[in-house]
Amino acid sequence: MGKGQRATQAFKSTEFIEQARDEDGLVIGGNPFKLAPTNSGSLLQDEGQATSKKATPAPAEESKPQKVPSELEAVPSLILVTTYLSFLMLIVFAHLRDFFGKLFYPANYVQLRVQNGLAPMVSDFESLWTRRLYGRIRDCFNRPITGVAGGHVNLLDRVSTDFNKTFEFTGRVRNVLNLASYNYLGFAQSEGPCADKVEAALLEHGLTMGSTRAEAGRSLLLTETEDMVARFVGSEAALIVSMGYATNALNIPAMVGRGCLIISDELNHSSLVSGARLSGATIRVFKHNYTPDLEKVLRRSISQGQPRTHRPWKKILVVVEGLYSMEGEFCRLPEILELRRRYGFYLFVDEAHSIGALGPRGRGICDHFGVDPREVDVLMGTFTKSFGAAGGYIAGSKALIDYLRLHSHSAVYAEAMSVPVLAQVSSSMRMIMGEDREHALEGQQRLDQLAINTRYFARRLADMGFMTMGHPGSPVIPLLLFSPAKIPAFSRECLKRNIAVVVVSYPATPIITGRVRFCISASHTREDLDYALEQISEIGDLLLLKFHKNQVAAASAAAVAAASDDSKKIQ
Amino acid sequence: MASFSAASPPDLLLAATLEDDDGSQRGLLRTAWDFSFRMVLRYIKNSYKDDPFRTFLEVCLIGFIIWYMTKQKYNIGNNEIELSEKEIDELVDDWKPEPLVPELTDFERETLDKAALLDGPNGTKVRLASGNSKALLNFASYNFLGFIDNPDFEKRAIETLRKYGVGSCGPPGFYGTLDVHMELEKHLAAFVGHSAAILYSQAFTTILSVIPCFSKRGDIIVADEAVNFSLQQAIALSRSKVYWYKHNDMADLERVLQDVNKQLTGRRGKNALPRKFIVTEGLFHNTGDISPLKDLVELKHRYKFRIILDESLSFGVLGKRGAGLTDHFNVDPHEVDLLIGALSYAIGASGGFCCADKDLVEHQRLSGLGYCFSASMPGILAVAASDAIRALESNPEGHFASMRENASLLQSLLKRIPGLQVEGALESPLMHIRLTPETLVRMKRSGGAWTKTDIDRVLAELVEEAQKDGVFLTRAMYVDEHERLLPNSSIRLCVSCSHTRKDIEKCAHAIKNAVSRVTSKKR
Repeated sequence: MGKGQRATQAFKSTEFIEQARDEDGLVIGGNPFKLAPTNSGSLLQDEGQATSKKATPAPAEESKPQKVPSELEAVPSLILVTTYLSFLMLIVFAHLRDFFGKLFYPANYVQLRVQNGLAPMVSDFESLWTRRLYGRIRDCFNRPITGVAGGHVNLLDRVSTDFNKTFEFTGRVRNVLNLASYNYLGFAQSEGPCADKVEAALLEHGLTMGSTRAEAGRSLLLTETEDMVARFVGSEAALIVSMGYATNALNIPAMVGRGCLIISDELNHSSLVSGARLSGATIRVFKHNYTPDLEKVLRRSISQGQPRTHRPWKKILVVVEGLYSMEGEFCRLPEILELRRRYGFYLFVDEAHSIGALGPRGRGICDHFGVDPREVDVLMGTFTKSFGAAGGYIAGSKALIDYLRLHSHSAVYAEAMSVPVLAQVSSSMRMIMGEDREHALEGQQRLDQLAINTRYFARRLADMGFMTMGHPGSPVIPLLLFSPAKIPAFSRECLKRNIAVVVVSYPATPIITGRVRFCISASHTREDLDYALEQISEIGDLLLLKFHKNQVAAASAAAVAAASDDSKKIQ
Repeated sequence: MASFSAASPPDLLLAATLEDDDGSQRGLLRTAWDFSFRMVLRYIKNSYKDDPFRTFLEVCLIGFIIWYMTKQKYNIGNNEIELSEKEIDELVDDWKPEPLVPELTDFERETLDKAALLDGPNGTKVRLASGNSKALLNFASYNFLGFIDNPDFEKRAIETLRKYGVGSCGPPGFYGTLDVHMELEKHLAAFVGHSAAILYSQAFTTILSVIPCFSKRGDIIVADEAVNFSLQQAIALSRSKVYWYKHNDMADLERVLQDVNKQLTGRRGKNALPRKFIVTEGLFHNTGDISPLKDLVELKHRYKFRIILDESLSFGVLGKRGAGLTDHFNVDPHEVDLLIGALSYAIGASGGFCCADKDLVEHQRLSGLGYCFSASMPGILAVAASDAIRALESNPEGHFASMRENASLLQSLLKRIPGLQVEGALESPLMHIRLTPETLVRMKRSGGAWTKTDIDRVLAELVEEAQKDGVFLTRAMYVDEHERLLPNSSIRLCVSCSHTRKDIEKCAHAIKNAVSRVTSKKR
């Protein structure tokens, strides 16, 4: 511990932690490190220019201060209509194909009928979407890879000869630019200091613990890592869970139960929904990221009490995510904390995507907003994303964590975290905190690099006239595609150009706003990003995606005109 | 340039509306409007000429629509009270929530403080961080086949690390499917003898995902009373109608199945035939019993049910090849519709899997929440699991013979200890021991009733005593308040194939000493 403390002190004494930063957490006036990766110099220059010529307003960033997600309002009505029409057409065709299929090829639909007295496992209507809509674009998902999902990734090439029913591997491997994995800080590596630490841990501690945390799976390595996680997020204690989904699904039931209320953001992740359902508490939903609606729900719930009996709620847990990974939006934490002070609910923040990736020190959404993490009752996060590991944690007060150690389903019934994953978590976290003496500066470099890459990529996309979503500084940048035909088209075009992207559509998003998600990593170089932007721009022209093109052109024309006016005046 | 013209449709629309300033355009629009208005008017006049009743009817209809649309929406069972803002403010000020979590009881605090803390690797022998540094014989971890501390696997794990790193940084759907995952899935399906398999990254969550993926609201689940907690949770999450039958009692199961079918006869419409499942475990976590699979299969066919079998513990433990309960009873694995297994117990890796028909596996890839919405398993663990299964295939005898020998030896030795109750099937390397009720009664001089905490405390003492003799045991831990039927407190023993005869004897001896020391203590 002493060693770590000293290292922190040494780390703090260097000047850069007190660097001036703008409201998005980006270093103002350039990165002080000369040791930064070779690519960052040019990026920084560009970022510097961007801050100096703030005259050109990027349309996507303008929408930030507005309260309600306003993207949809800005959608040209023609696109709206065509998107709905395309979906209608797809569904009509799906039903037609099913109708004729059942008529002429009944053998293919055996699964959907009652067979020797057994109801079909999957109902006809439920599976229509999977069979007829998802089936068409199955090649864009579940693409298998080999090796590390780093800045570039090796894709196993596959082809389908039967319209995506089955795939055959050609045996070729394609190295593509990876804009899909949640490798925000670039810790998905098979070499380097973290991998070395993992190797050492494997030799010393074996592979797995072969028991649950509460029984015989608690090791020194685990408790030390838990302490480090607590220190990292700035809370009293932490509990490590071996799977990210389970962190939510198996821990929420330990905190709330019958007679309690969960108020959840409408776009919360599936694991939070599962956890809430398992808890047996009443669940209410508020409009995505819209605090006035949260307040309305709170006032109604507290004043009315439990349904029918009107007894007061035992406790109220408000569940939000730090960074909504489908939208790239941050939760309005300061406003929610204000409400918390007034209404006395407990706050659960899921930092699955934000931990490590947000804030000047990478400590997540609290760090980003400069909020004391102890004000949040339950901080949950995962190690899958920024730390290149797996699993998750719950952090909070010592009383909470002690209780969870004996009462959380994950601690009592689920396997304890395996050794290599623990070692990866602790080594990458030490590096981010600057406690790794040999690599004291690398963590901060990665954080800065991610912030720079993210801002650069989002700004360039907006400048091209694309309609992007999310708050500036988010490592996930969604770009709206709308039309269902453009969703697979974008993914396939990207793959053709050796870029791996993730496209998402209904049911993961509202039906109208199908989108592609770019996940930016610190391991992307300037060349990578420029290549991607160039290709995306081409695809954008091809698929008519530059919805803001005219506005951007007009704005830049106005800027040019203003500039020339100024120059005339000076003359 | 081509792109410019192509991007214009929305602009055209905009242009058409913007052109309003143009005088001639406006004139044209007005003429068109007048024309169409007159057309409509004439049409209405013609159609209502000689039909006052129709006019009356339609006016009524329009009135009804307006009334319906403007009337207040109601919710069923809504008994909300109208409150003024001031009253709400007062209520908000009054409301005091309970603490987020209750305080720990004294015994819980003790349990937490005394919880075993391992220094170094888990395996046949472990070293505790507290106390002396003597290595203890481990009978607490699920190390049935000795795979946890197998040095060969470590070497392979390092090779894998150097190729795949640790995390996969994404869910399987989004570039998180590694080639080693697909190989392991194929390998598992072939080893079990089922059509296909799907990997999940945690054993508990596997069950939690698979059951709600197929059994929905309105479906029927008939489940064994003694199933483990993850099955209980999965059943709750599925929101299906659930019926419980007595633990491993086939007659009772048959009664319940008959009841269910009787209730369903005569049902018509959409829910006439729900999906019906029998849910049970291969090797019961809470009792160490084995399910009579042959009877289950027969009942399944007779009453038209499907079987969901949790083989988490039995996979790699039961059967000649170690392929689980189906192997043990020599039943075709296809008879089990959804076969759920774990890689975190005997296999010594992490995660779980589900074997089923190809279509059902593919369905899970989109609808299995724990698969679709969570990162895939680290490559290292997938390779470790593959290696373990390969080791089983190449040398089944070497692993199972000694494990079973050890299990039956330990069981017979334990049964000789007075005052001790042993639970678990003969073939099972997992057993539960507890003090007999008579012993407990004898122990309490004051004659008061035994609470659960009292019994737990005695068992905790027993564990501590055994530790002094060099044997590492653990109480079976439960989340008491969430278990449907809380199993009786016990100590769970797991026998490994890497234990020697001497180890087993030492364990039995240590438990015997511990029991005599604990029971002779006055309280």
